[in-house]
Amino acid sequence: MKAQDLVDERAAELLGFEWLRERLAPKSPYGARNFAQVVPYRPGDEEAAQERGLRIAALAEEVKPDRVAAAQAAFDALPDVSSAVARASLNETLQDPDFLDLCRFCESVERLDELLAGSSLTEVENDATAAVLTALDPGRNGAPGFYLADAFDAELGAARKVLEQTQAALDAVRGREAALVARELQRSEVGDEFIVMRAELQGALPAGVRVVRETPAYLLCALEHGDVYLEALARQQQAFDAVAAAELGVRSQLSAIVGRQAAGMNAVALALGQLDVTLAAVHFAQQYECVAAVVVRENALRFEQARFLPLDSELTVAGRSFVPIDLALSGAAVLTGPNMGGKSVSLQTCGFLALLAAFGVPVPAANARIALFDRIGWLGLGAESHGGGLLSSFAHELVSLKKILSDDAERLLLLADEFARTTNPHEGRALVIALLESLRERGACALVATHLQGIAVAAGVRHFAVRGLREIPQARAATDLSAALRELAEAMDYRIVEVEDDEIARADAIALAELLGADAAFVKAAYRALSQ
Amino acid sequence: MDVGLRILELARTAGARSIFVVGTGKGVGKSTTLNAIYEAAWRTGLRTGIASVGHKPRWRLLPRTLFATARALLPASPACQIVASHGLESSAGAILYARTVFTGEYDLIGPSTASGLRESIAAIESQCDVLLVDGAIDRIATLAASDGAIVVACGAASATTPAQAVGDAAALIARLQIAAATPNAATVELAGALTATTAAELIAAGERREIVVRDATQIVMSATSLAQALARLRIRARRPLRVVAATVCAVAAERSFDPAPFLREVRDATGVPSFDVFAGAAA
Repeated sequence: MKAQDLVDERAAELLGFEWLRERLAPKSPYGARNFAQVVPYRPGDEEAAQERGLRIAALAEEVKPDRVAAAQAAFDALPDVSSAVARASLNETLQDPDFLDLCRFCESVERLDELLAGSSLTEVENDATAAVLTALDPGRNGAPGFYLADAFDAELGAARKVLEQTQAALDAVRGREAALVARELQRSEVGDEFIVMRAELQGALPAGVRVVRETPAYLLCALEHGDVYLEALARQQQAFDAVAAAELGVRSQLSAIVGRQAAGMNAVALALGQLDVTLAAVHFAQQYECVAAVVVRENALRFEQARFLPLDSELTVAGRSFVPIDLALSGAAVLTGPNMGGKSVSLQTCGFLALLAAFGVPVPAANARIALFDRIGWLGLGAESHGGGLLSSFAHELVSLKKILSDDAERLLLLADEFARTTNPHEGRALVIALLESLRERGACALVATHLQGIAVAAGVRHFAVRGLREIPQARAATDLSAALRELAEAMDYRIVEVEDDEIARADAIALAELLGADAAFVKAAYRALSQ
Repeated sequence: MDVGLRILELARTAGARSIFVVGTGKGVGKSTTLNAIYEAAWRTGLRTGIASVGHKPRWRLLPRTLFATARALLPASPACQIVASHGLESSAGAILYARTVFTGEYDLIGPSTASGLRESIAAIESQCDVLLVDGAIDRIATLAASDGAIVVACGAASATTPAQAVGDAAALIARLQIAAATPNAATVELAGALTATTAAELIAAGERREIVVRDATQIVMSATSLAQALARLRIRARRPLRVVAATVCAVAAERSFDPAPFLREVRDATGVPSFDVFAGAAA
């Protein structure tokens, strides 16, 4: 899954692109190959994006989550037989581990079809997998492994019988030789190499023993095999060669079958890759309760009850919950609201949903109407850390701004978080207005979060605001930051509403400072300054 | 005497399903010991498995033996029953488990990682009556800690004198047999290795608490230092090991020891049943 130039590195990070990619990643090597080629839909591809989103959402409804999980587990265990199939198609003789993989592959395909039977997904299995499985069937023997069994070929069975007999004959001769030597040395047995103490040796060493090394105290000896043994060994070797030839013959025949089915097997591999990628998206839609977005042709982004999933997941782990947001954005608009009111997260939610729609993936919202963009840009807070030591925050913003405004993307979604906050408010305001005017003129979709006043009217754009604190929680004596944050979250109304006038929303900054443990005298001084 | 059978009996009497054979050095008869136990297990009719921590090339295996190898090292003939392939990796590629059908020479190899090795050994052990592992000192401790038995091979190849060989064997076995930490005892838990320097510091500080290491492989010092440390500190292990036997190999390319006295001295110094696989003798 490649973002291509839909988002730059920093925007991708802020919008959770990597988080998304991990969750949409398929399980099998086939899926991985397909997934690597996934690119965003572009303006003009609305129908295709819409169709994919609808199909995934429909499958998420249709296929039970446990089936999806079981299918994904099957994909996880799917061996990669691409190399074996390719080699067989080039007349190479495959080895037994290849046949094991091919068996497991074909069995997994059968299992996947069983798991997904009754759904609108088409069967993956085809004549090729059936033919390969039938050919390899004698090697399965009801077990999960593979053996080049006698049942593959009568000659193989016969050759193995001879090997068995000649091996038994060889072992018997060796056993007799060793037993004879052991008896003469008055031992229960001797191994391939053994020690004879000189002090215990009465007379000469028995026949059939050669000395490997002599020391004053002992002799290191080995069995010296006789002619009978050597004849038995020759017969065993001949039988072994016959088995090897018969096994090679069977492997060649099986490899030829696999080679003949290469086209069909490759078609299955391709279908598996697509299915794996689709199931990963279906699992995502089920896990995060997503719906298919209506992919619109106008430059708009509208949604209800939307969630920014990377933060939602983080909050869930921390025992808190994300407050879903509604927004109807078309063209450029301003977003104001108190500190910690969720302005940045609202921007991220916009970008995140636009990303999902661009990949034809259902979105975490009650409903959504989303355009396809060919660029999603981020400006302001969060984007500056990659600026490098030579640029100030403001200079970095201006460089990014220049890049975005000179971008020839026809369909731009720009998310700006407190742009120009680091210069003086008077000029900063002018810059934000100029930015909005420019975006409005080029017909971009944009949401510009700011604390600056009177921007929307001056720029001739819509004004949204986070509702803010319902009431200001009591400041705590103890510096329990997590408790303060919890209370703050409970008191905050994160909903976004469109406001008619251009009144700036209360920032409640001093109250927040107090709540988060600022010194009482300091807070008092701030209120005094505010009233002057 | 069937030395392999005697060692097998000792291990099984101790309740071990896995037997790890380790050596004090190269050429000390580790493979001969392993083979003697393996053939005894096979003759007894036990379902036998065999595994190697490292790469053990061209090992003669008898029919119906379960073993782990890399798929690239599996010989084409005679064909084996491939039992499973779990995706573990060795230095020679993906690991698979196979059961021999015919006697032949096979390469053994284990996974590259400690966790993979544990998984691989557990997989073979679950399908066998007895599993033999060609071990390496630094890897066997975590593997053998549960219910495995250890056999230590020593010999003339790794020492210049019998006394040195005996000392090395005694030190290794003393190290491997460090007792388990006493429950609820006051302890000094060492996160890393217990070295001679650490031991000297603890002795100088008059430490009376139990000095607890993770396992015997975390004790890194010479035989002389270890003897002193064991005499003056209460060294314990979180994962104690069981050494059931020692084997000796009195012959080496460079030198030979007198087998019978060497065997007796190893037994006396280690306190564990000792065997000479080459001479078919016990002490």
